[in-house]
Amino acid sequence: MQDLVLFVLLGLGAGSVIAGIALAVVITYRGSGIINLAIGAISMVAAYAFWALRSDFFGITLATVPAIVVVMLSSILVGVVSELLVFRPLRTSSPLAKLVASLGILLTLQATMLLWFGSASKQIPNVFPDDILQIFDTSIPANRFWMAAVVVVISLAVGAVYRWTRFGLATRAASENEVFAMLAGLSPNQLSMVNTLLASALAGAMGIIAAPLAQADSTTLVLFIVPALAAALFAGFTSLPIAVIAGFGIGIGQSLMFYASTLSWFPTEQGGNPLPGTQALLTFVLLVVALSLRGASLPTRGELVEKRLPEAPRPKHLARSAAVFGAIGVVLLVVLPFGYRQALMLSLIGMVLCLSLVVITGFVGQVSLAQVALAGVAGFVVSHMIVDAGIGFPWGPIAGSIAGVVVGLIVGASALRVRGVSLAVVTLAGVVAIEQFGFASKRWGAGSAGSPVEQPSLLGFDLGTTASYRGLDGKLPSPVLGFVFLACVIALCLLVAQIRRSVLGQQMLAVRANERAAAAAGINVARVKITAYAISSFIAGTAGWMYAYNFGSVSAARFGFLIALAFVAFAYIGGITMVSGAVIGGLVATEGLVPHFFQELLGISGNWTLLVGGLILIVTVIQNPEGVAGTTYRKRQASKRAKAAADVATETMARAGES
Amino acid sequence: MTTVLSARGVSVSFGGVHAVVDVDLDVEPGQLVGLIGPNGAGKTTFVDAISGFVPHRGTVTLDGVDITGSSPHSRARRGLSRTWQAIELFDDLTVRENLTVAAQHPSTLATLKELFARPIPLSQGIDEALEAFALEELADATPTELTQGQRKLVGVARALAARPKCLCLDEPAAGLDAHESVAFGRHLREIVDRGTPTLLIDHDMGLVLGISDHVVVLEFGQVIADGTPGEVRSDPSVVAAYLGSAADELTAAD
Ligand SMILES: Nc1ncnc2c1ncn2[C@@H]1O[C@H](COP(=O)(O)OP(=O)(O)O)[C@@H](O)[C@H]1O
Ligand SMILES: [Mg+2]
Repeated sequence: MQDLVLFVLLGLGAGSVIAGIALAVVITYRGSGIINLAIGAISMVAAYAFWALRSDFFGITLATVPAIVVVMLSSILVGVVSELLVFRPLRTSSPLAKLVASLGILLTLQATMLLWFGSASKQIPNVFPDDILQIFDTSIPANRFWMAAVVVVISLAVGAVYRWTRFGLATRAASENEVFAMLAGLSPNQLSMVNTLLASALAGAMGIIAAPLAQADSTTLVLFIVPALAAALFAGFTSLPIAVIAGFGIGIGQSLMFYASTLSWFPTEQGGNPLPGTQALLTFVLLVVALSLRGASLPTRGELVEKRLPEAPRPKHLARSAAVFGAIGVVLLVVLPFGYRQALMLSLIGMVLCLSLVVITGFVGQVSLAQVALAGVAGFVVSHMIVDAGIGFPWGPIAGSIAGVVVGLIVGASALRVRGVSLAVVTLAGVVAIEQFGFASKRWGAGSAGSPVEQPSLLGFDLGTTASYRGLDGKLPSPVLGFVFLACVIALCLLVAQIRRSVLGQQMLAVRANERAAAAAGINVARVKITAYAISSFIAGTAGWMYAYNFGSVSAARFGFLIALAFVAFAYIGGITMVSGAVIGGLVATEGLVPHFFQELLGISGNWTLLVGGLILIVTVIQNPEGVAGTTYRKRQASKRAKAAADVATETMARAGES
Repeated sequence: MTTVLSARGVSVSFGGVHAVVDVDLDVEPGQLVGLIGPNGAGKTTFVDAISGFVPHRGTVTLDGVDITGSSPHSRARRGLSRTWQAIELFDDLTVRENLTVAAQHPSTLATLKELFARPIPLSQGIDEALEAFALEELADATPTELTQGQRKLVGVARALAARPKCLCLDEPAAGLDAHESVAFGRHLREIVDRGTPTLLIDHDMGLVLGISDHVVVLEFGQVIADGTPGEVRSDPSVVAAYLGSAADELTAAD
């Protein structure tokens, strides 16, 4: 009993930070319809800044209060800059474009902090008294109560602002209808700006009060966005009180789960340690249950319909494109020096991951962030098959892809009643659960290390990276594995193109456009979605075992949640509704051909790559809200139409001349 | 012959609002049945109920088969096609593809065959429906390139392409000009006479009373009159309820 109380009270600490960030998420969403993934990153910036100002980093040391003021101002500055430079130009774009842009901001902030302050983590200065309280005969640091008190007071203040000021009324009206807000005399831009100010100040405050729990480093606070998004989702991205309560609930729940893991009945893995990741699993399950109870299998009349994704034109000339692509691929694999060859192989894998997103997100409109995790499932299955059972190519990959499909179907089935950005958040919780419960587990995954994968061979032919044929430069990796990859990519591209041309693909696009009308046309919406999840998971699984063979091992780090987000970004930038978009997405993916080229050309590396990557991501989304392939397609259509019009004009003139 | 569509005691309430109360309605083979009533009378909600989009009490049978508990898509596949008051076309598909997804529901095996071998032959219903509304020229356009009136027609053609046992049209002529509306009425009558019984909801009294075989009038979710166009036109409660509010609307529009 004592212990229970102790862990509930300890959980107040994480609960406060989650609640505060959740509040900022909801405020931002209500103000501008953006799910801002970078809010945790603003807390991170604040934490670094607070440390720097209190420890003579800039050559001066401020007292606590002035330091807090400067930190809050800098957080607000970060918020305002991202509002003006990124979100405002994207105001009328799809929610997915905004999500991708916010990921760009997150990466940019992370890289900036790492370049500025180095990779060693810093101690955030403590702002609360160090007292220890005695409650029920246990000792609890007073700072937990201070943290909770600060968040509760801020929440009440924010609540009061929304309830009683003209700005608050306008925001509440605007989240229903922008016209109402204009009637109240505030433009959507102003509203969005004020909400951003509030949210970024709040995020900054969380970076300061998190001192007892977290250090200033490039991940801890950034990752608080995941439970905070879960809390915001419980609140339907609208209710401030529910977001705060859910935030505290998640923090306390996680603390209790930690307590449970110390008890004797708790399941353990090898070495007697408790199973990892049960907290993430619990959050995911709770989210799914809560949303399934609330959601309907079809949207109801008048339910908000989100902005459309880019159009998905019917692909033409499949055989010709496949032949050209294949020929270029073979030549490059043979000719390119080893560094570029490896980058090309990683690009091929990236293309496969992007293709899986084309099916589920591009065609069916389901923003699933789980695809990279499904690839991981397949990769680990391949590794465990060979290590535990001695089963290798091709049965391992087949089993891996099937395992990816099974897990994908579980995620998909649990998300049937969830749509739009909510779906993105649920699948994000799913990714974290799979990562922490599955990949990081010694039982199913690889713990914190890697799990080896033997190179593939078929009928005595070595198909692996060490095959005897070594291309023109004679170095590793062998192009042979690249040929295998290339064949897979071409086959999957053709499959996805065929899907778009088939009745099934048209059903997918019908579901994407309007689920109610699709059902009225006799389309079984749930079946179409499940089919799409199965196909897309199969494709993702293929990418998983390609990774496994490429690196000769699998590890949790390669399938983490930031990488999952990054791939959505690559796929979106390339063009998430088109096969050619997936090819572009793969070329620009991390460690792929294009980044490798820039690295070689400009000699940049490490965190600079991260920074440039983040900035390029932002610029590309703003320039091509429909993806590079989409923009190219539209330009070509426009010039075709112009040419047709010109032809008609010449013809008419010619005829006029004849008569 | 069995009644094509038969609704018995259909009621829908949203919280405390009784949007549809105990409505009985039959569509017989070869019939065009009109459903009219002032704004907010519950016409759309009635169609939502019989097509499975809102939970309801009462029973719905289609061609003698009870479809009360079925999901929207299975009601559609059994032959109850509907359109929407706000046109809900699939903007990402061409006109022909819009009709295709309504007309063709390949099995898993057929889908696999289509992906890996040969295309599925297009159902005749698609060409017939395009022809019925003279939309052949627009078959490869996307809905965003069409005029409002054309979009309305595509919506109806899509419902027709499935070769339904019964067609339910929710305000198909709203937004059409007088000329288009008359032409639409003529097309619709032809469709019914060629064998597709239809339930027509519309605001345009002239259109509905002019072409229907039978008319049902709703007010506050209840049936207040039910008979031939002639009977309904002279029914005092209809004149009071519907024509009265239509007159109000006219004055409001001034
Ligand atoms: N989803 C809903 N929730 C609550 N009330 C609704 C809903 N849909 C319709 N209504 C109400 O039901 C009544 C009937 O509406 P409707 O069927 O649209 O009428 P009509 O189509 O005849 O104009 C109206 O009072 C409307 O406000
Ligand atoms: Mg209506």
